Amino acid sequence: MNRASSQTVSGMRGFPRADGRKGIRNFVVVAYLVECAHHVARQIAQGYQTEGAQLIGFPGCYPSDYAQRVMEAMCTHPNVGAVLLVSLGCEEFRRGALLDMVAASGREAKLLVIQESGGTRATIAEGRQWLDAALVRAKAAETIPIAISDLVIGTKCGGSDGLSGITINPAVGRAFDRLGDAGGTLMFEETCELIGCQEHMAKRATTPELGRELRAAVEKADRYYNELGHGSFGGGNIKHGLSTLEEKSLGAYAKSGSRPIAGLIKPGTRPPKSGLYLMDTVNDGPVRYGIPNINDTQTITEMVASGCHMIIFTTGAGSVVGQAVAPVIKGVSNSRVYQRLAEDIDVNGGTIADGTETIDDVAERIVAAVVRLASGHPSKSEELGHQEFALSYKTYEPAGPACLPV
Amino acid sequence: MSAMVNMIVLDGDDNVGIALRDIAANEQACDARGLQLTAGERIVQGHKIALRDIAAGERVIRFTMAVGITTAAIPRGRLVHVHNVKSQYLNNDEDHYE
Repeated sequence: MNRASSQTVSGMRGFPRADGRKGIRNFVVVAYLVECAHHVARQIAQGYQTEGAQLIGFPGCYPSDYAQRVMEAMCTHPNVGAVLLVSLGCEEFRRGALLDMVAASGREAKLLVIQESGGTRATIAEGRQWLDAALVRAKAAETIPIAISDLVIGTKCGGSDGLSGITINPAVGRAFDRLGDAGGTLMFEETCELIGCQEHMAKRATTPELGRELRAAVEKADRYYNELGHGSFGGGNIKHGLSTLEEKSLGAYAKSGSRPIAGLIKPGTRPPKSGLYLMDTVNDGPVRYGIPNINDTQTITEMVASGCHMIIFTTGAGSVVGQAVAPVIKGVSNSRVYQRLAEDIDVNGGTIADGTETIDDVAERIVAAVVRLASGHPSKSEELGHQEFALSYKTYEPAGPACLPV
Repeated sequence: MSAMVNMIVLDGDDNVGIALRDIAANEQACDARGLQLTAGERIVQGHKIALRDIAAGERVIRFTMAVGITTAAIPRGRLVHVHNVKSQYLNNDEDHYE
């Protein structure tokens, strides 16, 4: 890391964690471990959400290595200070292993098992009592100054239009270049929305072997969606001017900026060092669970599981998405939608099409929004109480050694 | 950027421009470098306009990259979209949204 990378930024403060990472929030997470415990967990968290309690969970009853890994990553995320696990009791989620892992990470952790706690009312009462005290401690926690090099930032788009690839996405790319140059760790994702960009992307890899892995990941997405019969392209995109999947890809790809690609990661894998990473969000193996990315929220969740402190989300048609564990900054490609959804959108990139700002101007505002967020100020979605979370079944094989060159 | 500019051409070798705002039929489409042509039909913001006559089966080039193959000849100034372009990868014929 260069000298500039460890410089703290005025106003930016973080919560130091035992593993060396620093959080930009100190959330108390309430996590249900099966859908049957969702209601009780929601009732516990309700009313505490403006206080920093966040509801997450996995609905499945059968075990899933993928979901277990994502939940472990969420519960030991740097933005999380304490965890309450809510189990029904007979689901197959490995709750003991999760509880031990959270406790070993130095976080306060508690497990409530509904079948052993006297049912709905008693479990909610016990949960709220614990949460009351945990939130007081979370608010009193000390912060330390942090640098851009302490941050992991992901980018994602949803509802792209014909201007996305000209305005807001290249501006995010330019912001990514600057944040990366300052030592930040960055990731972009959705290989199914990079179909057509694989050759260009392979040339940006830090090693030829990684280049082959990047190309193979996009080809895997192409095969998967061909077998499925449809991909990540539809009427909303067409209505707003995009004609093909590869045209949408070109626009989405612009978010990654221009720097070398340092590795290929899978959901839940943390980048081993700073730099720019691609996340492979498509299942390994045959088509098994249908559409791998059932919605934007799950993909965001996967990037957060890989350590993202925050997400920069871009849209053309408009989006109101947020996230439970990592705040979301939203940017829009056109002023028309910005004016309609101003309360939800943090950065208007439509000024580039209007001719009133350059890509660099908007990139500067995106970097400023990142610094603001890391200084404790809420994003628009946080102000509005958004805390989306989605997790379903998937399967992944371990990534090969070429994916993360030393 | 002058007030006249209503289109962007991302690379000099591209065969399409993109409307920065709605361009009416018969209106002049102009980019920042002074390229001008008459829109043969309405080009809505974010949509593509043919910068020259494009033959059927030719590649649509945006920002140096092929973003599709034409399924019909497209005269200069006309809209380039799903009615005359197909994907080289996956085709979505059905409309999933509305």
